[in-house]
Amino acid sequence: MLVLEGVSRRFGAKVAVDKVELTVVPGSFVGVIGRSGAGKSTLLRMINRLVDPSDGRIRCGDVDVTGLRGRELRDWRARCAMIFQQFNLVGRLDVLTNVLMGRLNAAPSAKSLVRLWGVEDKAIALAALEQFDIAGLAAQRADSLSGGQQQRVAIARALAQSPEIILADEPIASLDPRNTRIVMDALQRINRTYGITVICNLHSLELARGYCDRLVGMAAGRVVFDGLPESLTDDVARELYGLEAADVIGEGATSPAAAGWGARSPVAIPA
Amino acid sequence: MSATRTQRFEAEALAGLRGLAARHPSIFRVNWPRRLLSVAIVAVLAGLFVSGFWALGFSFARIAGGLDKLVEFAGFMLPPSPGSYATFLTYLMALAQTLAIAFLGTLTAAILAFPFGFLAAKNVIPNVFLHFSLRRGLDVVRGVDVLIWALIWINVVGLGPFAGILAVATSNFGEFGKLFSEAIEAMNKKAVEGVASTGGGKLHQVRFGLLPQVFPVIVSQVLYYFESNTRSATIIGVVGAGGVGLHLYEQIRMLEWQHVSFLVLMILLTVAVIDFVSGRLRFAIIGNAKIAA
Amino acid sequence: MSHVIARLPEPRLRALEDAYGAAVAAKRRQVLLGGLVLAALVGLSAWAGEVDLAKFFANLWRFPSYIGDIVPTLRLAHLGEDLAEWYWGLGYWLRLMGETLLIAYLGTMLGGLCAISLCFLAAANLSRSARVRWLVRRVLEFCRTVPEIVFALIFVAAFGLGPVPGVLAIAIHTTGALGKLFSEVVENIDMKPVEGVSATGATWLETVRFAVLPQVLSNFASYGLLRFEINVRGAAVMGFVGAGGIGQDLIESIRKFYYSDVSAILLIIIATVMVIDLATERLRHALIGMERRS
Repeated sequence: MLVLEGVSRRFGAKVAVDKVELTVVPGSFVGVIGRSGAGKSTLLRMINRLVDPSDGRIRCGDVDVTGLRGRELRDWRARCAMIFQQFNLVGRLDVLTNVLMGRLNAAPSAKSLVRLWGVEDKAIALAALEQFDIAGLAAQRADSLSGGQQQRVAIARALAQSPEIILADEPIASLDPRNTRIVMDALQRINRTYGITVICNLHSLELARGYCDRLVGMAAGRVVFDGLPESLTDDVARELYGLEAADVIGEGATSPAAAGWGARSPVAIPA
Repeated sequence: MSATRTQRFEAEALAGLRGLAARHPSIFRVNWPRRLLSVAIVAVLAGLFVSGFWALGFSFARIAGGLDKLVEFAGFMLPPSPGSYATFLTYLMALAQTLAIAFLGTLTAAILAFPFGFLAAKNVIPNVFLHFSLRRGLDVVRGVDVLIWALIWINVVGLGPFAGILAVATSNFGEFGKLFSEAIEAMNKKAVEGVASTGGGKLHQVRFGLLPQVFPVIVSQVLYYFESNTRSATIIGVVGAGGVGLHLYEQIRMLEWQHVSFLVLMILLTVAVIDFVSGRLRFAIIGNAKIAA
Repeated sequence: MSHVIARLPEPRLRALEDAYGAAVAAKRRQVLLGGLVLAALVGLSAWAGEVDLAKFFANLWRFPSYIGDIVPTLRLAHLGEDLAEWYWGLGYWLRLMGETLLIAYLGTMLGGLCAISLCFLAAANLSRSARVRWLVRRVLEFCRTVPEIVFALIFVAAFGLGPVPGVLAIAIHTTGALGKLFSEVVENIDMKPVEGVSATGATWLETVRFAVLPQVLSNFASYGLLRFEINVRGAAVMGFVGAGGIGQDLIESIRKFYYSDVSAILLIIIATVMVIDLATERLRHALIGMERRS
């Protein structure tokens, strides 16, 4: 059980996330929706501790995530894998090594630093790649892959961590409609087969309604909606998205207007 | 807890290890030739490194003894002091000499190298033979260290800062000749063509087409070298060619560590001031553009 | 018949001319002022630098005559013997040149290793403690501002004569110079992979190894080679202060007027420096080419 208690984050005078209260049941698929700059990204990054909260507490079971340091923090990060909008792979390393990054926390440091991976680690990494039909690309350099393939590699890396939670930060915002489907299906399969909790930032309301079993709407850093997808009416959505509402509500899950998405500026991560 | 369920993926993967190995043999096979090669490369590099130290007479005893002495020296260096006011003035004067060597040396080299830069530029004088021989000549001048030039000039004008100025000028002449000609070659041809199209002659083309473009680049390069020459002018006195280096050399020889640390502090301060001033000037001349150094 | 450009009415022309004239005059004044400052600095420096043009021109003949002196007498009829006499100490000098190269190599390697281990701490994007970063940057600054000859002089006093102080002096200077360049390379990397790897629960060292090193390695190698080239020149004069290499013999032959030895040794140094220049340039281009291809 992941619990956020009054979590806030300020960047200078700007409040990115404002006293968020949230409880996530294991095995659920939670969609976090809202317009760009609503604080979705910062929220997810705080759970993985890429960003530290200014206030409040994050707990998981009996672990106080906010207070973790060193070895314990790294162990926590291994338990909640992160997937990024820009994939964040190491372009110059091959695909398999990128997936093996997910084993770094489990493997002994002295061996992994000189790339002497254990047979088990290799097997797990390969099995993760096979899950998404890209094991054949194992020896290729990651930056030679298409966006959709790279994101699947990133999901394989996350799966190789054998995490309890996967935090996906706008995983499809840089992809075309076909790859959007593939990536969202992959996340859904992981969620259903292995019971891994998925918390996913999404811009598209249709996708969120289609894949998630719970929606959390954010606006200006606050949670303004929390409930089942069906209970998110168009009125609520209009409130959530403001001027962008027309873009978001009208579009179907299969045609998320790739061009429009590419033009949209990526979620601002305040420095 | 879900932990038991999430371990399922790992368990499945390990259970399917045999199948995975059969489907992707290349990944599980240890690539011995490659592994041996990387081990061999590391071994050779490390071996060369270690045997090099051994060949040059490094030993633990010597390093330990030397470090011991260094710590001792460092203790003697505190607090830095020139001893007396008179010595301080002498050092100050020597520092002024150092700056004079750097300044006049750089300026002379720049003025002398300026015409050569144009002569050695392919787009000004498209003569392969001249281009090649000038560039190689400049290379030879560049290849001789400023300290060696200082020794040669001492034979001509005697000991003192004048020899230092000439040495800095000579060695920079080689550098500038190359840099200037490269800067000129990198220039935009459009302005030259523009001047040519109005009926301007070769000299007009250079004066009004090339010079305005090249001048700021050259000035900023000269300033950059002035900074670096200030550093080398501090040591040119080691061979007797004037400046603060001579005092530094003598004080180290006489193990007057307080003087040494004082001199080093003076040098650090001067270099910092010169860097700051010249950096400002360069910024004013060329803006924030990166300067090829 | 050529066209005549219509003349502007007199008052407007006058106004434009005046404005242009004023702008030019302001610029002229600026240039004049700059020229005056420059002239004053030249005068001051000439006084401080004991510039004596009379002496210079009176003695200038010595420069070509010195060059003439150090050029050996080579007669076509006895070329073999003359060459043998000129390069009487070839084996010995080559060994010293080899020692010089070894000093440069070890100094570069040692300094490069120190620079690699320090640059990540000096880079603003990877170092977590501002205090450590400040300290490392100041240390690197100190290492590259103090000339290596000064380090060599001090080390000769501490470690005794020979190549040991030379290697250490070059290593320290290299640490400072490369440390700064390396940390700038590290500051320019793409941070997304770093985030990706550290989000998996990797240690700082693992993150540097897998997310940073692949991005910076070719640049590091290129800068290292450039530094090696510079260090070969530096090592050639280390002997001037007793810190090993061929410099010791060069300064002695200059001081003791062994003319033909001077040219012989200088030629060896120049040739070596040129070969190293060419070789490192080739290597660096190959590195850059590899980078582009893959």
